[in-house]
Amino acid sequence: MTYEIKETLLQVNNVSKSYDVPILENVSFEIKNITRPNIHQGQIVSLIGKSGSGKSTLFRILAGLEEPTSGRVQVKNMDTHEYQDVKEGDMGVVFQNSYIFPWRRVEDILDMAASANPKMKENKKELIEHYVEIFSLSEHIKKYSKNLSGGQKQRVAIAEQILNGGDFILLDEPFSGLDTLTIDKVTQALVKIAEEDEHKTIIIVSHDLSNALAISDTAFILSKPPTAKAATITAHLSLASAGLAWQPDIKENPAFRELLKQVKSLL
Amino acid sequence: MKQILTPFGEVDKKTRIGIILFWIILALGSFEIFHSKIIPPPSRIGQSILDLVTSSGFYEDLIASLITTSKAMFYSILLTVVIVYLSVIQLFKPIANFVSKCRYLTLTGLIFVFTVLSKDTAELKMYLLIFGIVPFFVTSFYSTIHSAPIEERWKAYVNRLGRWGALYETVIVGKLDVLFEVMRQNFAISWMMITMVEGYAMSEGGIGTLLIKSNKYLDLGPVFAMLVIVLVLGLLFDFGLSALRKMLFPYLSK
Repeated sequence: MTYEIKETLLQVNNVSKSYDVPILENVSFEIKNITRPNIHQGQIVSLIGKSGSGKSTLFRILAGLEEPTSGRVQVKNMDTHEYQDVKEGDMGVVFQNSYIFPWRRVEDILDMAASANPKMKENKKELIEHYVEIFSLSEHIKKYSKNLSGGQKQRVAIAEQILNGGDFILLDEPFSGLDTLTIDKVTQALVKIAEEDEHKTIIIVSHDLSNALAISDTAFILSKPPTAKAATITAHLSLASAGLAWQPDIKENPAFRELLKQVKSLL
Repeated sequence: MKQILTPFGEVDKKTRIGIILFWIILALGSFEIFHSKIIPPPSRIGQSILDLVTSSGFYEDLIASLITTSKAMFYSILLTVVIVYLSVIQLFKPIANFVSKCRYLTLTGLIFVFTVLSKDTAELKMYLLIFGIVPFFVTSFYSTIHSAPIEERWKAYVNRLGRWGALYETVIVGKLDVLFEVMRQNFAISWMMITMVEGYAMSEGGIGTLLIKSNKYLDLGPVFAMLVIVLVLGLLFDFGLSALRKMLFPYLSK
């Protein structure tokens, strides 16, 4: 499968974070624009780590919600083509429990998100309808959060962040607490989003190896090496170069299963 | 039957009502049989209630008390929202903390100050009520606002609402139901205080005045009748506000 690696879209340079104890130490990685001939495709990147490995801390730093103790996270501004330090609002964020405002109906949540996106001024209504259709939310738009299932809530949270308009969407443990059928729906939706724009980059922070890697073209492993004080990136996997990306039935592929075994040993 | 005596037992609505009725009958029956010479029995209190609600002037006093309480609640809520909304800005946070601590102050020592400050007794009652209510409102509302999950604010930030937008969305809009609940829970304080402050300004009338007048003649039948009416009205308000809250905020789980 031919593809081309182009410019860097996001760079994480020597990010460290300590509270009372060090959590992250010199975390560095880059996410690049991967293009495929005649295919409109963005990136899906997984950040894999076991529970307590500092994934959530890294998630908050990537989202611009927390400052690193040292180091920096920069994203490419697609309008100016310059790199700028990430700040809150630069990335669409779907939290672990798919938190959405409980006092707003689904239709208001989506409308608010689209209203905050300057690119959606002219065709806001059509785009909301488009994503409601993609995420099968038509029958839920009048509902409040308390009347939605975990999977429905997550689809609303993802649609909200797409409408909000950032090129990056960060998802914290998107498969956690969902049944197999719902996970399939969510993964299909994520692939669809990635196919919408070449620069759209989905970053999945998860401990669920199989589901995360199955839809990713790139993955980074976050773990604490035996001699280190805190977690750092210990491996970079290019599923694209291994021929394991962009395949709907990848979970059945023996090479993919072998890769899962290898990754497990790294955690 | 076994369920009503089992720890964490589950009962249906009919049984629950039966249990409540059982306790009411038991309490009233015991009170009727074992009452002392000074404290009137339920039958006499019942008669006093009947006399009271059919007496002239009772409804004027009741309405006077309700109007004063409602006015005091309105001003107290206004003050509370300003103080608590501002408390999310570090510079103003100490004001909310100070007002909250004022709930340990007693009104008795401050009556003179408020008397000097007020033009008339109506204003004095209002000052006393507001001063008594606001610290409790602020304490409850402040604690809810500041213990909200951080995801609420994060969500507002990532949705590009900015800090002021986050204040509007997560505190002003998002906690409107909480404000209502604070009002409901603390209505009891206002209702309890109204009888007290009306005693300081008896020319204005009100149920507090009625209560004091009855106390003066050691006529405990009407006193207990007044207490029962005050209690029942308080419970009715609590029920009404609770129903209104459910209607106004359909997103609430309970």
